[in-house]
Amino acid sequence: MKSFVPVWLAIALALLSAAALKAQEDMRTVPNDAFVSPQRPPSVFVHDAHNEAAGIDECNQCHHVYRDGELVADESSEDQRCSDCHAEEAAGDGPPALMDAFHGNCKQCHLENGKGPVMCGECHQRQ
Amino acid sequence: MHTIYEWVAGPLTWIAFLIFFGGLLYRLVRLVTLVRRKEPFIFTYMSLKYGLRSILHWSLPFGTVNWRLHPVLTIVTFAFHICLLAAPIFLMAHAILFKEAWGVGWPSLPDAVADGMTVVVIAGAIFFLVRRIVRPEVRFVTSASDYVLLAIVAAPFVTGFIAYHQFFAYRWMLVAHMVSGQIMLVAIPFTRLAHMLFAPLTRAYMGSEFGGVRRAIDW
Amino acid sequence: MAQPTQSEAKQIVDPGIEKGAAGLTEDRIQAVINHVIQNETGARLKVYVDTCVHCGLCSEACHYYLSHDKDPRYSPVGKVKQTLWEMLRRNGRVSVDFMRRAAEIAHTECNLCKRCAMYCPFGIDIAYLMLVVRRIVHLLGMTPQYIQDTAHSHAAVCNQMWVKPDEWPDTLQWQEEEARGEMPTLRIPLEKEGADIMYSVIGPEPKFQAQLIYQAAVIMNAAGADWTMPATAGWDNSDMAMFTGDNEVMGRIKRDHYETAARLRVKRIVMGECGHAFRSVYDVGNRWLGWRIPPIPIIHAIEFYHELITSGKIRVAKKFQTPVTIHDPCNVVRGGGLHHMARELAHALCEEVVEMYPNCEHNYCCCAGGGVINCGPPWKSKRIEGNRIKADQLADAKIRGAKVLIAPCHNCHSGLEDINHAYGLGMEIKFFGDILYEVMEKPEA
Repeated sequence: MKSFVPVWLAIALALLSAAALKAQEDMRTVPNDAFVSPQRPPSVFVHDAHNEAAGIDECNQCHHVYRDGELVADESSEDQRCSDCHAEEAAGDGPPALMDAFHGNCKQCHLENGKGPVMCGECHQRQ
Repeated sequence: MHTIYEWVAGPLTWIAFLIFFGGLLYRLVRLVTLVRRKEPFIFTYMSLKYGLRSILHWSLPFGTVNWRLHPVLTIVTFAFHICLLAAPIFLMAHAILFKEAWGVGWPSLPDAVADGMTVVVIAGAIFFLVRRIVRPEVRFVTSASDYVLLAIVAAPFVTGFIAYHQFFAYRWMLVAHMVSGQIMLVAIPFTRLAHMLFAPLTRAYMGSEFGGVRRAIDW
Repeated sequence: MAQPTQSEAKQIVDPGIEKGAAGLTEDRIQAVINHVIQNETGARLKVYVDTCVHCGLCSEACHYYLSHDKDPRYSPVGKVKQTLWEMLRRNGRVSVDFMRRAAEIAHTECNLCKRCAMYCPFGIDIAYLMLVVRRIVHLLGMTPQYIQDTAHSHAAVCNQMWVKPDEWPDTLQWQEEEARGEMPTLRIPLEKEGADIMYSVIGPEPKFQAQLIYQAAVIMNAAGADWTMPATAGWDNSDMAMFTGDNEVMGRIKRDHYETAARLRVKRIVMGECGHAFRSVYDVGNRWLGWRIPPIPIIHAIEFYHELITSGKIRVAKKFQTPVTIHDPCNVVRGGGLHHMARELAHALCEEVVEMYPNCEHNYCCCAGGGVINCGPPWKSKRIEGNRIKADQLADAKIRGAKVLIAPCHNCHSGLEDINHAYGLGMEIKFFGDILYEVMEKPEA
């Protein structure tokens, strides 16, 4: 029985990845269900179009991995949810709080590159 | 739009806050030196106990005879001033921007609550506007500057409300919101909005005179 | 806009204001206004003007405003708008007519009672602002004639009523002689150095209310007080110069008063039932002369009578039977916190005390004080029209049984007497001293 475990795991991972790929094709907003009571509508984010426009090839430019506070250059984390690492409330020296992480990832990059939305309502669109 | 945003949210905000705090400090220092030079007896009569006693009574809704004489105005005035101060300071969007710039944040209000408080401020401003026009004793002492001041105070809330709900022209409305807020901050030290700084001082002085010399209450 | 008031329909001509106005130019007005603003005012004027948000909440405080059907021109802030705001806005360049109206407002439409300071959320002292206007009016020589005459009297003979140096001791000896008919051992000790008490009065008492000195002498003698009265100038505690903006004369006559008490080495000054004199000695004159508090304790008659009753030095033979009500004079109540003692005294002396409302610090002004009644006959009817609200208040007290009105202040007394007559209220107005004299146990004759 033991030998089956990696196989099942591999199948499961493959299925999940496929689902994730499918999901990112369809992705229109950043889900905000990890927040207990989100104050704004979820942020508009069309994954593929964004990355194409922004010229982002590497997944880990956003889906980063930090270990002991250091960015790990060749690993990425698209198999995880942001909230797996970023809790809603930041604890001490740990990773930034989830909202700060989102804003840091999106808005800071937009500011640095002089492109993309930076005002609250440009991402958190009502409708 | 990036350039405008960065300009308004950056240097203009810096300038506005510097003028606001610097202006208040300047007015305070000018006042104290003027008192020292011309009316030093004011320091002699100022009393912490009686000053605070008077401020406390006037800070309580219905805590004075005149507040009780005007119940509607009292409720509106207190609601207006509390929301005017609390909504911007504890608005989540403001706290986020401050944290992004300075790395420190503070607890903020749920957006729905801040939204409600904004409505209170706008409604209060409308109430004051109508009162100014309708009540003869207020209209008699009203000049154009009173309407301008009211508009300066109401503008950041009106634009903030429209921008938050994204009713129309979101980006321009947000810029207008930031600029009008900066205008208000800059106006406070140099207009009658300085009552934010001076009212507690004048009240404390009158409270000190009444309590310390006149042995009477002033509420 | 509100209806024009009656008083505006008939223009009142005051010879004092007119005489001053006759020689004025706008240059002169501007020079004087700017001199006062720049050299004689400071943080208070600036902050009061810069802080007022024009909310009008002071209006309800003013008896003129309430009595004129809420005509905004009579609201406290309305009066500031018609005077100081305009002077500041025009950098002092105002017309002679403007100053004529400013003199009228500051002298005859405000009693400086400071009730509005209790209604302004910021505690802006509008009475002070009106005094600044009066100061300007004074320096322009436009002070109303009658009150200017009293100020001249202060300056010339150091009392308000042109009482000559020989008339004063003469009057005291006359009253002593009269009172000895009732109490043969009675004395009015003159110039007794080292006495406990110097008793001081206002100019009108020797002039035409000498019976008040008689009553005071009986009370002092019955209580066994160690007291004296000066035979020299300095006996008058009143101060109309304080209300005309003639601060120099105000300070001089206050100093004479304190120095007379110091010369007699008394422990304290007891004064008769006067409000503005209490203000001048207790609160204003001392500041002008540089004392935080008066250099010698000042005891108002209310406090003194209260002390005589509670210490048992005077006993009440039979309480006053007619129901009374109490008027709270601004200067001893809002200005001295004596309303509690006044009530205790009233209850000790009288069988029935009817309160009128609003009372204590919130009492309506008599409309006579602050030098308004001293502006004399030309302004009398305007003063009476300006206090209809007081007549309503008194009428209400009367309906609830009060027949006698106790007014422990000379100005209030006279002003309320005019209101009493003009509005046909039919009340009797008394001082505490009148009642104390009537109900006290007097030593066997």
